[in-house]
Amino acid sequence: MSQAAPTVDATRAGTFDAIQSALRRNTWTLGLLVFLAILLVFTRLIQPTYGATGIQGLANSVLPLALAATAQAIVVISGGIDLSIGSMMALTSVVAASNMQDQSDLFSVGVVIGVLLLGLLLGAVNGAVIVVTRVPDIVVTLAMAFVWSGCALLVLRTPGGGSAQWLEDLVLGPLGNEWIPKAGVVLVLIVAAIWIPVSRSRFGLSLYAIGSNQLAAFRSGVSVGRTKIFAYMLGGLFSALGGLALTASTGRGTPVPGPYTLLSVAAIVLGGVSLAGGRGGVFGPLIGVVILQLIRTDMTFLKLDPNLATVAQGLILIGVVMLGSLLQQRRSRA
Amino acid sequence: MTDKKTTRARLLAVFAAAAVFAAACSTPAATTAPSVAAPSVVAPSSGAPSDAAPSAAGSYKIGFSNPLGVGNGFREEQLCTAKAQALVSGQVESGTWIHRNTDAQGQLSDIRDLIAADVDAIVFNPLDPEALNPALDEAQAAGIKTIAIDAAVTDPETVNLSNDQVDYAYKGASWLFEQMGGTGRVWYTRGIPGHPADTDRDEGFKKALAENPGIEVVPSAEGVHTNWDPATATQLANDFIASGEYDNIQGIWTSGMDSQVVDAIKGAGKSFVPIVGADLRAFVEQLLNVSGDYEGLTGIAVYNPAAVGGAGVKLALQLLNGETVATGENNTVLLPAPEAWDNVSEEGKAKLAEINEPSIDPLYPVSWYIEGLTDYTLEQMLACKGPGE
Repeated sequence: MSQAAPTVDATRAGTFDAIQSALRRNTWTLGLLVFLAILLVFTRLIQPTYGATGIQGLANSVLPLALAATAQAIVVISGGIDLSIGSMMALTSVVAASNMQDQSDLFSVGVVIGVLLLGLLLGAVNGAVIVVTRVPDIVVTLAMAFVWSGCALLVLRTPGGGSAQWLEDLVLGPLGNEWIPKAGVVLVLIVAAIWIPVSRSRFGLSLYAIGSNQLAAFRSGVSVGRTKIFAYMLGGLFSALGGLALTASTGRGTPVPGPYTLLSVAAIVLGGVSLAGGRGGVFGPLIGVVILQLIRTDMTFLKLDPNLATVAQGLILIGVVMLGSLLQQRRSRA
Repeated sequence: MTDKKTTRARLLAVFAAAAVFAAACSTPAATTAPSVAAPSVVAPSSGAPSDAAPSAAGSYKIGFSNPLGVGNGFREEQLCTAKAQALVSGQVESGTWIHRNTDAQGQLSDIRDLIAADVDAIVFNPLDPEALNPALDEAQAAGIKTIAIDAAVTDPETVNLSNDQVDYAYKGASWLFEQMGGTGRVWYTRGIPGHPADTDRDEGFKKALAENPGIEVVPSAEGVHTNWDPATATQLANDFIASGEYDNIQGIWTSGMDSQVVDAIKGAGKSFVPIVGADLRAFVEQLLNVSGDYEGLTGIAVYNPAAVGGAGVKLALQLLNGETVATGENNTVLLPAPEAWDNVSEEGKAKLAEINEPSIDPLYPVSWYIEGLTDYTLEQMLACKGPGE
């Protein structure tokens, strides 16, 4: 997505056009950034002491959901939907926590690698069932959500296990400067390291192609089934990262899935990913997650009922989809 | 194709939005229980006079976090007692009350929000004994006092206000086994698997069991879990009665899902066996046979005061005022042994009648205060308003 087109013509006008078109393609993400900035200013106004500690807390709070949203974004861009993300996070989290407890650092590195492979495997199963059986993805992943959360309860019946200290240290606290939270740095590095090469590869192109028009993609020689399975595998990988983030931040594994599946849908919609597939990226959703969390925090500062924050998240979801289709209508008329 | 996809996208969005709404608006009628079972006395402070810090009047900001059981009588009353105690103390400028259903990561995030909100103390009912520790460390680094109520955390700097759930179960089970003459079969119904209160109560139940070798537990030694959910409890009781198993038991132990089981028995037209429950008002009314429909019911109500919320706020203020608080093992302020009253003895009946306060919701615990640990009136608790609300 959204890389500025290489300027063949090095004239001033050419550069200007390139910038303009890059801006146009990233309007939504830029708009979100502006909204986030306004929200931060607003936060500072209602809570004058909001500062480095607040930013640290914000980064720690968003990490699992941000990874879940990245997983969801990739799957939705490919034209699917994954309702098993929360369950995959629970399963990978308990597998990590139950195997890492009281083990050496070296062993826990092995566990982390194993859990990431498990994530790829879970995603591959989701994708393969969808491709082979042709049952709609919404049904398959809903069903798999039950399967994975049942498996999580088989691994750990109650919250338990432990996390390696290095894993906890990896996401807790600041990195050098008190304004730079480790959790934020880790998040951006992980997402960039996986998503940027993928999105620039042939596969990345296929991903958007099958998401925007499966038939056209097929006729252009894209292997639809294989691309779809790969998209779900990436979704599984990011879900496993989300599960590891849960284990790292709580130091435990919890077999009952948290609210991540549906919140991830809300975050990607807010982040500019079209639920119809083929449009959007992963950085918009990351900003979307931060905005959703900051709204909850602001409501705490304003001493509003926290359940109102959940209502607000739902309203934002509807509002954003309405705004999106309104913009699309205007664009197609113009 | 595009039209179809757009329609699908809209459906998905509406579906997701509706689900988010439902999560916010539903009141999972869960849990009664995980709480403290202890009433009376024992001030946690070691000899602090009540006029300790008048200079601090109305200047503290209290943060409160409860992560589950929204709509559940125990959890709702716990919040109201905390608000009422904050109000009546005169030392609290404002309270930030986070009362929602979430997971351990969500409660971590709530506690971090409270830190950012610059509160002076955080009173919280922990979802997990260990998961919250990083945020609690951050709170203490920011000079915030942390008080865990109802269940304990392992963080060494947090003061735990806990009662003896082991004794809660032991007391009721011992009464039951005595009523049964030390022999017979008991139906054992529990709470949420893995919850600290459920684990402790199991220990207490098994302790009483070990002292009564003539007692047999059904359906198995591990009992059945109601998840502290009234609907689940009713379902389990109906199934149990329908299976014919009910006719072979001589007693029932519940972990607070009591009135539902009694009603299931009544609904099936069976005669009652002795039953152990908590002090939720609906059960107390059944024991007193207020409606006249529960002739022949014998049982015992073991106190599980939601007033631990208010006691937690009072403890927080004592810590903020620099008073010394005597704590025991694991930095815990132990509440005294839980009270329990049956409807067999005259003394018990009189006590149940006394505590059966009609203005309290049937699903709320009747033990709405803890003597010496809370200061509000019943009206203040029922009003459920904190300072400035």
